[in-house]
Amino acid sequence: VFSVHMVGEGSVSICSIAGKATSSPAENYLLARRRTLQVVVSALLTESGFESAEKAAVETLTEMLQSYITEIGRCAKAYCEHTARSVPTLSDTVVTLIEMGFNVDTLPIYAKRSQRMVITAPPVTNAPVTPKALSAGQKRTHPAHIPSHFPEFPDPHTYIKTPTFREPVSDYQVVREKAATQRRDVERALTRFIAKTGETQSLFKDDITTFPLIAARPSTIPYLSALLPSELELQALEETDSSEQDDQTDGENTDDPGADKENSMLPPSGVVPSTKASEDNVIDNPYLRPVKKPKVRRKK
Amino acid sequence: MSNEDLYHKVVGYVELTIFPTVVNLNRIKLNSKQCRIYRVRVNDLEAPFLYNDPTLEVCHHESKQRNLNYFSSAYTAAVSAVDPDAGHGELVIKVPSELWKQGDDLKVLKVYIEFSLDQPKGGLHFVVPDVEGSMAERGAHVFGSCDEKMKIFSCHRFWFPCVDSYSELCTWKLEFTVDASMVAVSCGDLVETIYTHDMRKKTFHYILPIPTAAPNISLAVGPFEILVDPYMHEVTHFCLPQLLPLLKHSMSFLHEIFEFYEEILTCRYPYSCFKTVFVDEAYVQVSSYASMSIFSTNLLHSAMIIDQTPQTRRCLAQALAQQFFGCFISRMSWADEWVLKGISGYIYGLYLKKTFGVNEYRHWIKQELDKIVEYELKMGGVLLHPTFSGGKEKDNPTPHLHFSIKHPHTLSWEYYKMFQCKAHLVMRLIENRISMEFMLQVFNKLLSLASTASSQKYQSHMWSQMLLSTHAFLKSISNVSGKDIGPLIKQWVDQSGVVKFFGSFAFNRKRNVLELEIRQDYTSSGTQKYVGPIKVTVQELDGSFNHMLQIEENSLKHDIPCHSKSRRNKKKKIPLMNGEEVDMDLSAMDADSPLLWIRIDPDMSILRKVEFEQADFMWQYQLRYERDVVAQEEAISALEKFPTPASRLALTDILEQEQCFYKVRMQACFCLAKIANAMVSTWQGPPAMKSLFTRMFCCKSCPNIVKTNNFINFQSYFLQKTMPVAMALLRDVQNLCPKDVLNFILDLIKYNDNRKNKFSDNYYRADLIEALTNSLTPAISINNEVRTVDNLNADVRLILEEITRFLNMEKLLPSFRNTITVSCLRAIRQLQKNGHIPSDPSLFKSYAQYGHFVDVRIAALEALVDYTRVERSSGELQWLLSMVQNDPVHYVRHKILGLLCKNPPFTKTTDSALCNEALVDQLWKFMNSGASHDWRLRCDAVNLYYMLFGLTRPSCLPLPELGLVLNLKEKKAVLNPTIKPELGVGAQNSIHPSCHGTKGDFNTMEDEDIDMETVHDSQAFIHHHLNLLERPSTPGKHTHTHTHTHTHTHYIHVLKTLLIQKKPAKPASGRGTHLPQLVGGEGD
Repeated sequence: VFSVHMVGEGSVSICSIAGKATSSPAENYLLARRRTLQVVVSALLTESGFESAEKAAVETLTEMLQSYITEIGRCAKAYCEHTARSVPTLSDTVVTLIEMGFNVDTLPIYAKRSQRMVITAPPVTNAPVTPKALSAGQKRTHPAHIPSHFPEFPDPHTYIKTPTFREPVSDYQVVREKAATQRRDVERALTRFIAKTGETQSLFKDDITTFPLIAARPSTIPYLSALLPSELELQALEETDSSEQDDQTDGENTDDPGADKENSMLPPSGVVPSTKASEDNVIDNPYLRPVKKPKVRRKK
Repeated sequence: MSNEDLYHKVVGYVELTIFPTVVNLNRIKLNSKQCRIYRVRVNDLEAPFLYNDPTLEVCHHESKQRNLNYFSSAYTAAVSAVDPDAGHGELVIKVPSELWKQGDDLKVLKVYIEFSLDQPKGGLHFVVPDVEGSMAERGAHVFGSCDEKMKIFSCHRFWFPCVDSYSELCTWKLEFTVDASMVAVSCGDLVETIYTHDMRKKTFHYILPIPTAAPNISLAVGPFEILVDPYMHEVTHFCLPQLLPLLKHSMSFLHEIFEFYEEILTCRYPYSCFKTVFVDEAYVQVSSYASMSIFSTNLLHSAMIIDQTPQTRRCLAQALAQQFFGCFISRMSWADEWVLKGISGYIYGLYLKKTFGVNEYRHWIKQELDKIVEYELKMGGVLLHPTFSGGKEKDNPTPHLHFSIKHPHTLSWEYYKMFQCKAHLVMRLIENRISMEFMLQVFNKLLSLASTASSQKYQSHMWSQMLLSTHAFLKSISNVSGKDIGPLIKQWVDQSGVVKFFGSFAFNRKRNVLELEIRQDYTSSGTQKYVGPIKVTVQELDGSFNHMLQIEENSLKHDIPCHSKSRRNKKKKIPLMNGEEVDMDLSAMDADSPLLWIRIDPDMSILRKVEFEQADFMWQYQLRYERDVVAQEEAISALEKFPTPASRLALTDILEQEQCFYKVRMQACFCLAKIANAMVSTWQGPPAMKSLFTRMFCCKSCPNIVKTNNFINFQSYFLQKTMPVAMALLRDVQNLCPKDVLNFILDLIKYNDNRKNKFSDNYYRADLIEALTNSLTPAISINNEVRTVDNLNADVRLILEEITRFLNMEKLLPSFRNTITVSCLRAIRQLQKNGHIPSDPSLFKSYAQYGHFVDVRIAALEALVDYTRVERSSGELQWLLSMVQNDPVHYVRHKILGLLCKNPPFTKTTDSALCNEALVDQLWKFMNSGASHDWRLRCDAVNLYYMLFGLTRPSCLPLPELGLVLNLKEKKAVLNPTIKPELGVGAQNSIHPSCHGTKGDFNTMEDEDIDMETVHDSQAFIHHHLNLLERPSTPGKHTHTHTHTHTHTHYIHVLKTLLIQKKPAKPASGRGTHLPQLVGGEGD
């Protein structure tokens, strides 16, 4: 039965129909099959007593039929693979049909019905030769300890690291140029975006778009943003500290690490921890002492 | 009352303990301004009091007088009337007659004053950011906004009643009740902090056992973060929330300054603790008070910032020097101010020398000397030690000034800065005379006397050792050194003016003698004649020789014998002054003369300006081989006049020399630019400095790209910053900035990469913008066409592109102190001024608003002031003046007037539509009564008035009414006295004769005469009011008694304040409710 024939091809054929180019032999082959399906549908319609059908209706039914057959094929293949085989058998198909709610017993009667129309066999078209996968390089032969019936090695490119990117540009000038341009572009795009989405000021009365200035907005505590280093700067500093500190320690900074050390002994808030009391230099600073409770007066 | 207003209130209580030292103490006069006094009691008895502040309105009853001479004398009189040194004050308390007996027995009197301060305009400054949240979250704070000058004398009376004089010492007990989230930092030791009963406020109790004058007391309240100095636990630092990391870094250096001062003075820091407080909107950057200093928060910086670091350290060093001299030891009288400013400035200089090196120190001394010389030559002399024999106008020691120097708060701010500058320079002159060792011994002696005195309890006569007078200082110097520095003092302290020398020379080959001629100009304003020794250093082929010459009355010429014969052919190393021997190429010099260069007064031991003529090659030798930075700088400025290839070579060599002091190299950049411009037609090779910059800072492989930033070497960092700025000043034959140079700068900006740098590049980028600004030249404009984007010059378009991007990026990633915005605003103004873009003030106005960082505001205001002058816009002038009156930040108000003075919209000699009667009236009103809360602002306004209208009646005013009558008769005679042109120095003197001479003839003058009388009225204000009191003392004796009382009375000053933050206290009910609570708590 043709259902078996169609197994495996169904999904491919849908794809090819969706595509438009029809010149390749593989496509011709598939188109022929599709045409056969159409003929089948038409025959069944005639059998049922229809005299004519709209093309769209035929097409829809063809599609339905095709997907039905495809589903049978897919399912049967799944069953067969489930039992570790590669080619579906009749029983796979039967189980599939049962699974899909089809009464298999009715099939022989249906096949033998009298009014069955005989369709001419589709023209013999050669099954398209699947072009050989592009083989890259020499396939490795099995080493001595692997029996020859084991599958062959795949193409080397599938398991050998093949760098496909170009050699990175290491020319200093180009790198600097690129970094500079990139930064400038990013900055410009960002500032223009902000300028476009917010309030702006302009240096020219007639043209407010060529040199848009983000409007100056007063802040409530202006000194904070002006004095505190931005996160970006801090981040950059950390990076340079970790990576380049070694080659950048100069004589002139000798007292700084000491200062840092001293500072680090203090908690950030400047409050002395109680653990420090063990040392002899306990910080006794009046501003760190606890606030006293008011004296309770005798008078009631 | 808006919600905001509720916060700006102080309720206080002052208790004074007075030990009378004379009998007849029946009146007590105190200084107090702005305060509302509720009640005064003396020893539990209600005392009647009188409160009047004559400085509120200087000239009374709507006078039509508008000349500055008149104002100045009236203002001086008003200030004198409340001068605590003369025993006056705004608040006169009558001692109840029941207590007279007690006073006569010299028993203790206690004075209690209850007062409140409602939204003070001066003295205390409240900063309350306008955001949601509690006071602590908002970073609200209060501090005594007293600057150095005001601190001396004035602003304390603005926030509590006291004797506002440096010479009235007393011990202090201070209590401040503030919201529980706040910290109150004040002078002395914090004894304890106690919650109030409702636990919502706390009271800080301070005790200052060291006798201190009221002006040295201050207060700062805010939600401060506290940092105990890790090196010195008795030192505590305070900053506003979130700034603690910056505080830690900025203060990590303070202990070294402490160590330095304590070592050179061989004296411990006099107070038991020290506090530094960093506040926003500070009145001045640095102000010192007893055991605490208040700084501007903008001095804080992170470890990434290079340029701010030395500046902050300098400020710290200044503040600490003033702790010793100024706070601990204070002045006897205003005339002795120079000693304290001088000593603190001098020891600060020693610190600079130690920390930043001798080169930096000498450079600084030269800078200061140049500053004072320039100021005095322009504005007239600065007198350090004025003596006022009588009270008469004729005895005015500084008739050339438009203000009186009799009182610190009539002084122009700039004058006072120059005064301080001169004071420390004179101290250095004294050091030159008696040696540093003796100098430090004198300081040590003064300090040890003072600290002995300070530990004496209740022996107020001992305390006078803590006050320093000129006399005591000089006596101490002569005791220690045995030298007579009388002539030096007479020349520089008792007399104003600097010396102006002109020098030239000729070499007499026959006699092998250098004939030096030194002339002086001592007739022009700000100069004085110098007689005495002068050092001349002559560098000859055989070495360097010092000669002491004597400048005398008549001799101009001096013969100096030379040591070496001219012998250029012999190859021999030439010894320099410092013993070094160098090879020189002698081909440039005169074959007949052995002279390489000559220097007059190389040690700067005279306050002078020297204009010396020597040949260009001599300057070049001096630049290359003289090791003194001052000589090098002098040579550079002299070489500007010699645009030759040889000068170019000498400058380039200096630029490249890494041993050379970096500031000299920076100066050489600008000189080279000037020379290149003068030589433009013959200039060979690439633009000046370009190849040098490329060699020093660009990549070896691709010379058009600058290396990624690495500022670890500060010298080259400063040079890298400066060179593009100087290069941008280059001009080609068409007087345009060469295309090469502009592209070069644009490339520097493009390739600037700071990712690998340990330091921030904000100053560098700001300087690159400045370079772009410098490259601008006036646009060629045809028929005054309107500037649009389309007709923008291509180069300008590129520049504008960069500026726009920088300015916009700053909004997203602000730079430290917004240096880049500042540079951009300057650049935009320059573009406008040169006619590339339309001149428009609106951008600057938005940046000048309150709420931007102060540096940005100042830059915007500077642009606006410039706009006002160029466009003669009265709208902008009004806008600026209204900001002067209304801006919340004192510094900005002061700065606007300063900027207007520096770049005035018009002057007395030019005509302008802006100069009209309304403006005169507006400014006059502001000076007269509008600025009564801020001495500095008032003096700034006086300066501006002087700048705009001069000393006499402004010419734009209509003639006084009756003048017109005579106008018909004889035109000239009438016009002369009123619209007299400026006569400069003589103007003031010439007015009075004309007044008196015309008095009988014109009714016009009567007006003026009446006004003059009111001046005397206000001077005698106190006397006048005293007559109202019941028991007048004998008039002649009266002043004497009171002066006496003041100078020899011992006070214990107890000040308690309650900073109200939640509820406004109603004056009426406040009497009964708030204050007694405060009083009740303590058991004194």
